Amino acid sequence: MDALFYIASAVAIIATFLMLTRMNVVHALLFLIVSLLAVAVVFYTLGAPFVAALEIIIYAGAIMVLFIFVVMMLNLGKRAAAQEREWQRPSLWVGPSALAAVLVAEVVYLLTHADTRMSGAVALGPRQVSQSLFGPYLIGAELASMLLLGGLVGAFHLGRRIREKR
Amino acid sequence: MPSSDLIALLPLLVVAGTSVVVMLAIAIHRSHRLTSLLTLIGLACAFASLWVARTLTPTEASPLLEVDSYALFFLGLILAATFVVVILSYDYLEKQDVNREEFYVLLLVASLGSSVLILSAHFVSFFLGLELLSVALYALSAYVFTRERPLEAGIKYLVLAAGSAAFLLFGMALVYARLGTMGFPQIGALLSGGDQLLKDPLILAGMALIVTGVGFKLALVPFHMWTPDVYEGAPAPVTAYVATVSKGAMFALLVRFFYQTRGVTLGPVFLVFSLIAIASMLVGNLLALLQSNVKRILAYSSIAHLGYLLVAFLAGGRWAAQAVAFYLVAYFITTLGAFGVVTVLSSGERDADALEDYRGLFWRRPWLAGVFALMLFSLAGIPLTAGFVGKFFLLTAGVSASLWNLVIILVVTSVIGLFYYLRVIVVLFATEEPAAEVAAALPPLSASGGSALLALTALLVWLGVDPAFMLSVIQRAVLSLKGL
Repeated sequence: MDALFYIASAVAIIATFLMLTRMNVVHALLFLIVSLLAVAVVFYTLGAPFVAALEIIIYAGAIMVLFIFVVMMLNLGKRAAAQEREWQRPSLWVGPSALAAVLVAEVVYLLTHADTRMSGAVALGPRQVSQSLFGPYLIGAELASMLLLGGLVGAFHLGRRIREKR
Repeated sequence: MPSSDLIALLPLLVVAGTSVVVMLAIAIHRSHRLTSLLTLIGLACAFASLWVARTLTPTEASPLLEVDSYALFFLGLILAATFVVVILSYDYLEKQDVNREEFYVLLLVASLGSSVLILSAHFVSFFLGLELLSVALYALSAYVFTRERPLEAGIKYLVLAAGSAAFLLFGMALVYARLGTMGFPQIGALLSGGDQLLKDPLILAGMALIVTGVGFKLALVPFHMWTPDVYEGAPAPVTAYVATVSKGAMFALLVRFFYQTRGVTLGPVFLVFSLIAIASMLVGNLLALLQSNVKRILAYSSIAHLGYLLVAFLAGGRWAAQAVAFYLVAYFITTLGAFGVVTVLSSGERDADALEDYRGLFWRRPWLAGVFALMLFSLAGIPLTAGFVGKFFLLTAGVSASLWNLVIILVVTSVIGLFYYLRVIVVLFATEEPAAEVAAALPPLSASGGSALLALTALLVWLGVDPAFMLSVIQRAVLSLKGL
């Protein structure tokens, strides 16, 4: 059903716009996550359930975990708890929640109905994705691994403060 | 993947393998000399393997990469340039107060990215190659993180390059949305099929965004803002690398992509490239007049040189492709030589980038000053240097395609350019005494750095006096280029 695609796209665009205009990082992050979830729904309606799952696991999942790590490392105390109370005002969570509720409604619809995809879209599962990733596009997968190597070595070098004694 | 594809991709595999071997060698035993030696051996092996790959050309190794004589020529060029950068980096890094060995891993990863760009025949490999190159360059330009300037350069490059990559991706997505394919040959076939597609707003918007992404990497006006700051801030050998390998690989891709997909025949795309070329030649040369920092002068001059290259690129045809390739060879030699002199004069505290560092250099280091003056003559396009022959070829390509406006601006801005090159040369030969601390800080010239500069100078004069051999090599290389 095409309407699902357009509703999810609208949610993604609104959430991204609100993310860009927020002043507080935490609030911006909430909208970012909603935007990523909306994009996952878009992928699903386009017939790419595998990519939709990856989108949630890698983006929404990894970004959340990273954020929790940062919060843990900041070692927050009483002042943070006071700020937390401040943040729990409804005006701050109503926006992301409303957008997320739209997505939840869509997912419920997707689970209960049969005609869930865009007209003309064909579902591609993990098998087809991996067959092309490790078939004709094998070189691409290998190059991505070299990209990680470059990023890793660069981060290792820049993150270290003093030169080793030689 | 058939084994013939692996043989065709041997140069890439050797570069990738070398980066892993070098990384493991660092983990086992940290030795600057050993690491740089391994890197040089790996690069030399990759260069030699070009002849192995050549026996199979032209071939499509997977849908992503196309190995033909055109790609192999540019692969050889960037491998040789990386080799020179490694030699220049050795002495430079010895003076720095950070870990030296990781530099070579990053340099190899960046060269792998450039090689992928040169070979790409698909948006996926285009983007992966670009990211490989960019990610390694972020770390390389901030490599000497104990100083402020390199850190600033690294952050600036990171933010702006990431932004331009987003433009590029969006452009690719728009083209894909309309055509349903990401391979260059398929896009070319579809675009040459119907006039309807050529006027499609999605295609035009996509091409415009791709031009933005490519223009950023090539530092063309109006996407040039990062260039002077990054050139000034990055360590001198990294600046040499950014100016040559990164831009050369991207230009090779630009030629392949826009000729093969016939994108350059789209009226608006042609117009946009013409305007970019004019703006680059004017802005690059005019802003260079105001600079008193040698690295910044060379940065603005490189903006102008990429503008000159666009003139031949727009001319189109076999001769224009040859002129572009020859000009890139001359530009590589000259730029490596100029930044090579800056590198060998730099100390552990700062790079020798102020014009004052060069005052009267001729009376203290006659050979070094002579090499620098020759490189500047070549950049200015004075006869008997490679730069003159290259510029002559660009002009003939432009004239034969009757691009009169562009050709006239090329000539006028070259004359303006002459002024700031000569200004540096005048400083080199100035007779008054330099400030005492400048004279005292002159580091000794090492044998490796000196011989690299000497070799570059010999190449510069050889190409300037007798370009026939290089031209015949390029002639054969360009034969495989499609869409001329």
